[in-house]
Amino acid sequence: MIQELNTEAYDGMEKSGPMMVEFYSKKCGPCKMLSFVLKAIDKLNPDFKIFTIDFDENQELKERLGVTGFPTMLLMNDGEETNRLKGLQQKPAIIKAIEDIM
Amino acid sequence: MKTYDIVIVGAGPAGLTAAIYAIRANMSVLVLDRLAPGGQMINTNEIENYTGVGKINGAELSMQMFEHTQELGVEFDYKTIVKIEDNGQTKTLHCEEDDTPIITRTVILATGTTPRTLNAPGEETYTGTGISWCAICDGAQYRDKNVLVIGGGNSAVEESIYLAGITKSLTIVTMFDLTADPKACDQLRAMPDVTVYPYQEILEFTGGEKLEGVRFKSTKEDAVERHVRCDGVFEYIGLQPNTDIFGHLNILDKMGFIAVDDEKKTVVDGIYSAGDVTSKKLRQIVTACSDGAIAANAAAKYVDSLKA
Repeated sequence: MIQELNTEAYDGMEKSGPMMVEFYSKKCGPCKMLSFVLKAIDKLNPDFKIFTIDFDENQELKERLGVTGFPTMLLMNDGEETNRLKGLQQKPAIIKAIEDIM
Repeated sequence: MKTYDIVIVGAGPAGLTAAIYAIRANMSVLVLDRLAPGGQMINTNEIENYTGVGKINGAELSMQMFEHTQELGVEFDYKTIVKIEDNGQTKTLHCEEDDTPIITRTVILATGTTPRTLNAPGEETYTGTGISWCAICDGAQYRDKNVLVIGGGNSAVEESIYLAGITKSLTIVTMFDLTADPKACDQLRAMPDVTVYPYQEILEFTGGEKLEGVRFKSTKEDAVERHVRCDGVFEYIGLQPNTDIFGHLNILDKMGFIAVDDEKKTVVDGIYSAGDVTSKKLRQIVTACSDGAIAANAAAKYVDSLKA
């Protein structure tokens, strides 16, 4: 499952279990390529939650989570960050990072 | 173990076009890339000069090209090649990700280029934490801050125009004068809080835990030395070919690019090359695609001759 969130929705949602929070920018080419990769990963594992957040429109949240660039993928379990991938990554590397928290 | 007819290293426009022509020539084809399809196109926000598509985002064009290869049944894998062995009528490729060698009758090297670095003191220290090679990727964190750009060509000037719109101040330091298209240079010079220092040599990136500035010196007679404080640096000083692992094949020219003939053949039978990594005058998506088609055509003919 891939869902776009803003700060209010992120703060208000229940954060149980494993999930990915990905910060992106609409101007960013690697972000766009990553979105294609994440869609392909989502098809393989539709139960894994992937939340995408616009870096430019959620300044306070990105500062709060210590995100300084895009794309940045935060792997989380029960709301706690367990791993962080910065920049575009190989699809198998992203899949492995997801499997590590499942 | 399977022997492919054509293995293509690099999934940028050259590699992807080579794949299309190769599979349509009834070759068994494998395309490898260490990251994702697209090559340099991924980092290009707006492409306006690829025939027939008008204005398109680089990543979107990358995916369109990639999906074209997938519709034709091209095999693709994420692999970082670390060694190529020439065994005459076959080549063996070794990758970083696992121990399984890849055997093929021909290879098309389409590995592209990587932005150049200065190798100046402090550069390695602050790489990724103050020094970047991609304004679109990393520029946002310098909103209302002081930024320095090194370089004066088209990429440097275009990215400087983008940065000047979001930063507090922009300093451009370049080896010669600005050499980009005159219209872009004029646009940049007219923007507020932009200072250009031409004919400079970078001496050092300074700072403690964080980058604090750049020291540089004029290459003119006055040899004036300056230290400009900045929060971030972007380098746009040209591209270097991704050919580190091909030296032993003796296929490189003096600048490290792969030397090819009109059919994109190297001096080694069965090894071809296409795209930005080759010695050529114009490095554009359209010329990369053309190279890929020519290389695949030549490789397919060679494979047919081996099988005859």
